[in-house]
Amino acid sequence: MAGSGRGRGRAAFTFNIEAIGFAKGAALPDVMCQPPPPFPSTDNKPVPLKTGEDEDYMLALKQDLRGTMKKMPYFLAVEDDREAIERYSQKYQDIEKEHAAWTPDWRRLPREMKPKKKTKKAGAKPKKAKSSEPKSNLDVLKKIEELEKKDDEEEKSEDEKDKTKDKEGEDDEEAEEPDEYDEEEHEEENDYISSYFDDGDDFGAGSDDNMDEATY
Amino acid sequence: MTQAEIKLCSLLLQEHFGEIVEKIGTYLIRTGPQPLRMIVNGTGLVLDQVKKALCVLIQHNLVTYQLQKRGFVEYEAQCKRVLRILRYPRYIYTAKTLYNDTGELIVEELLLNGKMTMSAVVRKVADRLTETMEDGKTMDYADVSNTFVRLADTHFVQRCPLVPETPESPDAPPPPAPTLVINEKDMYVVPRLNLVGKGKRRRSCDEEEEGEPKAKKQKQDGESSEPPPDDGIYWQVNIDRFHQHFRDQGIVSAVANRMDQTSSEIVRTMLRMSEVTTSSSAPYTQPLSSNEIFRSLPAGYNIVKQVLDQYLTLLADDPLEFVGKSGDSGGGMYTVSILYFWTLSPFRPLIYFPLPLRFGSRCARIFRLLLRKKHLEQKQVEDFAMIPAKEAKDMLYKMLSENFVSLQEIPKTPDHAPSRTFYLYTVNVPSSARMLLHRCYKSVANLMERRQYETKENKRLLEKSQRVEAILASMQATGAEEAQLQEIEEMITAPERQQLENLKRNVNKIDASENQVDETIFVLESFIESTVKKP
Repeated sequence: MAGSGRGRGRAAFTFNIEAIGFAKGAALPDVMCQPPPPFPSTDNKPVPLKTGEDEDYMLALKQDLRGTMKKMPYFLAVEDDREAIERYSQKYQDIEKEHAAWTPDWRRLPREMKPKKKTKKAGAKPKKAKSSEPKSNLDVLKKIEELEKKDDEEEKSEDEKDKTKDKEGEDDEEAEEPDEYDEEEHEEENDYISSYFDDGDDFGAGSDDNMDEATY
Repeated sequence: MTQAEIKLCSLLLQEHFGEIVEKIGTYLIRTGPQPLRMIVNGTGLVLDQVKKALCVLIQHNLVTYQLQKRGFVEYEAQCKRVLRILRYPRYIYTAKTLYNDTGELIVEELLLNGKMTMSAVVRKVADRLTETMEDGKTMDYADVSNTFVRLADTHFVQRCPLVPETPESPDAPPPPAPTLVINEKDMYVVPRLNLVGKGKRRRSCDEEEEGEPKAKKQKQDGESSEPPPDDGIYWQVNIDRFHQHFRDQGIVSAVANRMDQTSSEIVRTMLRMSEVTTSSSAPYTQPLSSNEIFRSLPAGYNIVKQVLDQYLTLLADDPLEFVGKSGDSGGGMYTVSILYFWTLSPFRPLIYFPLPLRFGSRCARIFRLLLRKKHLEQKQVEDFAMIPAKEAKDMLYKMLSENFVSLQEIPKTPDHAPSRTFYLYTVNVPSSARMLLHRCYKSVANLMERRQYETKENKRLLEKSQRVEAILASMQATGAEEAQLQEIEEMITAPERQQLENLKRNVNKIDASENQVDETIFVLESFIESTVKKP
């Protein structure tokens, strides 16, 4: 079979190569192994640019346009991070910026485009009630007091009271522990081991009322 | 949208509107119509910023919105419109040639602001013109209004779609987004305004009235509590009309190249008469009788009716069918074939610009040959082009690998055996045009990037020179001595000056190149549009 194996030496094509114009035995052009280089060499010079009054004027227009658009209120620049020290002039620059800002005609835009203004008072109270992350013990206690006031009539109130008691208990224990610790520290400094004369476990524990066994 | 288009759009948006708008615009171009939530998620920006940027884009007609059936609003970016930003200088310059400085400034203000009411435009333009006039003179609003009306009459500016007048229905909640409508007939109707006034200078030291603080006076004139009479009627630039004008210019210059000045003037007259009656995509103008043409010729041309008829016959018989005869009534009805112009024109950019650059002028010869003869075999190419076989082969393969030419197989036998098949070289014009357009977009993007790189590299030096200029200006204003001025000027050393000169020259060259590539883009886009079969 003509042209079947690679091992037979030169590759042979399935058609007469003279049809495309290669003479028999002539070297074939190189195979492309990689994508073309990003900056190919330019042997031929490009056509020179058109020059004239029109072109010069349009060039000036283009550069002017670029500069003007940068100053328009439509140019939204990324705000640089403020300096660590707040400058006094910053306040007035902000006011100036607000004056220069542009407001579109809201009638022509979808309603969701309009920024909604929040008032401070309306926002504070619901926030307080909803925040579920008490930041310190004091807040916890305050929140519990609030909840107590709200849920007095509900069934859960007892649980909450227990909870509050527990919490208070915990607080008390926390308060007591340092006291206990203090007591030990306040003992006299002598060589007597204070735990030497320990009261037995039964010391004073049992009552003398129910004496089943007689004492001898 | 191709990658090259997206890249170019993003560069244009960034240069003219900043990075935030660029991010959102690019996201919309890439992913198609999206609701607000998706845009916020996709770009990772704050909701507030996204809203502001969308407002800017909608104002400049770069993004449109549509209320979907399910009740939410989708925003869609207009990629083609973003690419037009490249052409703004050409629009402004055309307005200047047609309507002088006033027209130029009107078009410039409308392009800078996207949409404006007529009263706002007139006021701003009058102020700007007054600034440039001599002391004591001011620009009257009436002149500016007249120019505006003329622009509207010739359709260079048009009305934006309006918010519909809905009857007050307190029961139904207002829709989430207004559906803007515009009636074809109303598009160029100028509202009757009684704009009386003159332009104002910004620094009016002479005109201050005694006692009255200036701020108060400006408030009264600028922002009156009642809305202006044309509130809600916005105007925008009619870009298609400008394109029509460029096309007409091209036709006239082609005729002038082929024949003489007079015939080009005749064609120009014909085109001007059918300016507003022919839509931008029509293949032919409306038929015009030679009597009408004779009446509409500009006053300076004293040619007799018979001479005009002779010219028209010549034009109609020319193998380049710019003008066709369509009837005999009224002394002969003639039309200008616009479609033909487009089929003719892209050949020139294809031949003259990229091919000689990349492959040499002989390649251009082969290409032109193939365009004329449509299909040629390898051997025939060599013979007709008179180029040695080896070179011809080489060039053909290079062009083939770059897809400028393609191979057409014509089998002799049903089994398509390669040894018994004709292989013909041919040029597929629409596909070559598209490929070339893609290359143009890539070139402009490359040019812009290079320009930004150059400017960034020399940023420090540019800032220094700006500061020095500011110091010089303030010193000159306060009256400084020559020696002091010299000292300040020497703050910029000679090598730095040289560097600045180089930078300026490079940036100018790149800008000029961008403008000219845009001209090629215009031709190619119009050609491709004209070949697309409309349903």
